[in-house]
Amino acid sequence: MDQILEKLPGFVEKIKEIQEVIISNIVLIGQVPAPTHYEDARIEIFLERLSDAQADYCATADFNIPTGVIRGSSDGFRPPIFVVAHLDTFMNADIDHNYIIQKNTIIGPGILDNSLSLGVLASLPVIFRHLDLKFESDIVLAGVPQSIGKGNLQGIKHLIDTWDGPIRGAVIVEGEQLGRLNYYSEGIIRGEITCNVTATDGWEHRYKPNAILILNKVIDEILSMELPQRPLSRIIIGKINGGFKHGVIAYDARLGFEIQSDSEEMVNRMHDEIKDIVNGIGHENHVSLKLHIISNRVPAKLRYRHPLVKSTVAVMETLGLQPTTDSSESELSIFLARNIPAVTLGVTEGKNVHRDNASMKIKPMFTGIAQIIGVLMAIDSGVCDE
Amino acid sequence: MNDRWLKSNTFHHAEFKDIEQLVAAKERRQLKISLCLPTLNEEKTIAKEIIIMKSELMTRFPLLDEIVVVDSGSTDNTIDIAKSYGADVYAAKNILPRLENFTGKGENLWKALHITAGDIIIYLDADIKNIHHRFAYALLGPLLMSDHIKYTKAFYDRPITIDQQKIRATGGGRVTELIIRPLFALFFPELTQILQPLSGEYAGYRSLLEKIPFPIGYGVETSLLLDIYERWGLDVIAQVDLDRRVHRNQDTKALGRMAFVILKTFLERIESMEKIKINTPLFHEMIQYKLTDGEYEAEIHKINPSERPPIISVSEYCEKFNRYPE
Repeated sequence: MDQILEKLPGFVEKIKEIQEVIISNIVLIGQVPAPTHYEDARIEIFLERLSDAQADYCATADFNIPTGVIRGSSDGFRPPIFVVAHLDTFMNADIDHNYIIQKNTIIGPGILDNSLSLGVLASLPVIFRHLDLKFESDIVLAGVPQSIGKGNLQGIKHLIDTWDGPIRGAVIVEGEQLGRLNYYSEGIIRGEITCNVTATDGWEHRYKPNAILILNKVIDEILSMELPQRPLSRIIIGKINGGFKHGVIAYDARLGFEIQSDSEEMVNRMHDEIKDIVNGIGHENHVSLKLHIISNRVPAKLRYRHPLVKSTVAVMETLGLQPTTDSSESELSIFLARNIPAVTLGVTEGKNVHRDNASMKIKPMFTGIAQIIGVLMAIDSGVCDE
Repeated sequence: MNDRWLKSNTFHHAEFKDIEQLVAAKERRQLKISLCLPTLNEEKTIAKEIIIMKSELMTRFPLLDEIVVVDSGSTDNTIDIAKSYGADVYAAKNILPRLENFTGKGENLWKALHITAGDIIIYLDADIKNIHHRFAYALLGPLLMSDHIKYTKAFYDRPITIDQQKIRATGGGRVTELIIRPLFALFFPELTQILQPLSGEYAGYRSLLEKIPFPIGYGVETSLLLDIYERWGLDVIAQVDLDRRVHRNQDTKALGRMAFVILKTFLERIESMEKIKINTPLFHEMIQYKLTDGEYEAEIHKINPSERPPIISVSEYCEKFNRYPE
């Protein structure tokens, strides 16, 4: 491991030498809109950029998942190492996906989530050649569609579940923030509660229940639920919408929430309690109040003393980064749930991540890339093989 | 009218996607290629153009030999940003300083001939939001793969950005359809086959460009086309479909000023070709009106009528490139 760590600081300046290749990939991929379930155009450009970067093998796997493979020296003896980034974005296609490059900043919708990561993935074959790096394992670079929100990580589930053979380890790349280190995932249930009040003509509607107020009752009852400190559990009320006009009661309303906990049992218990709340309020108010589960994931984690986590911390500290750990419910949870050691890393610093004017800093990105390479080298040296 | 040209000399960028093939043709012919980006306050787009061209057509494939920015006096960060990404940046006023100084896009393009080294020069507007390296390699394709084509022009769909965030799928090209195409149809029907004669992206051999005059302002595209057509014929020109170009929308008044300059350039050119006789001097002021406090107020825009002569007539140029004036 020491030999790997010694090389890392020198990588940063060396990667910067080919900054235009990396930035070009970020921009050319990121300027193609890719709302979840409508990623085809971005899949095509991502694959094209991987091919242009001379990855040894480029193709779309089942489920239209674009992958590039950099062949390792063990000729298949060592299982492959995966590097993945989600390919879909929260941004609608009609938003102008124009990126502005300044001296040390790139600004534009989706730049941090997740164009930056995709651009880095597409550049890795060029970066490896530039650094004269060779791996024993095949390195599989995958842009994963149908990941966020209602995509419910379908892309990564499909990729891993249909992969023929074991996977040595994985790095999940996220645009921000540099210094993040995720190696555990909480259990979650992500759900939506919909309230529909039958619309009627004439004066009757004045006396109908209001869908927004019904959801307000649901929120009040959720907030009054008793949640334990151990295992740490919480409910996030994340989205709400409803109604159509200021002076008319709302016939429809929708509430998005997520249950998070270290304990699968607690997740299920909280879910059952919310279900009872929904059934009770729906019944008392004579409205259609329904609970829909969008996704459900079990908690999974590496221990802090796992060699991959320890090596990643060493890589980050060698590069002057202070690791910040938190739970991540992204692709990481799918790898961990299948007993594949994996970590999620951020590439650079930035702000306004989910706004149209999201921005990323260019200079820290080179450290972020060096960090990813350091972790890949660590996995290739065997830290996940125990 | 000879309408054969539209089929024989119209290309699509995908035909030149094999960049290695272009590089081989360039090396076989022992050519140097320069990319020139004329700028005036383009800080939002200049870096993207430089980075993508440098990455794809210099680092990955040695198709371009240099990227040169010629600036008209930007007051934003254009120069600083362009330098930071490795372009050679020149202030137009510092090129050929012996000559009287003018400001305009045509001036930048003309002066670029002096400071670039390429046998082929590609000119790209610096405000292209969806820049892609095809904008350069596709314009080079016909020049490198054909023996007779010496000048290429771009055409494309032209969606325009209508506000900060939304893109309208069609639009643009109003000056082309309302001014230049009717004029071509009246005087040079063959030239109507050029689908976007005012496009700001074109490339040509130095051996042609150095022999024709450059108006200093907006009229430069019209003027170059007419002069090349008159002197070498339509067959040396080709047009390439670049698919899509997103650019800033200009308001009607700005387009009016552009139309004024283009119209004036055209009329003067066809008079010098003895196609018409204008018996009155043409004025150099575009007059528009705006409503201020209930009163109409004239806005007068003086248009500099100057034109640079063929650069081969400039002694410094002849000395640098070992040329002799015609």
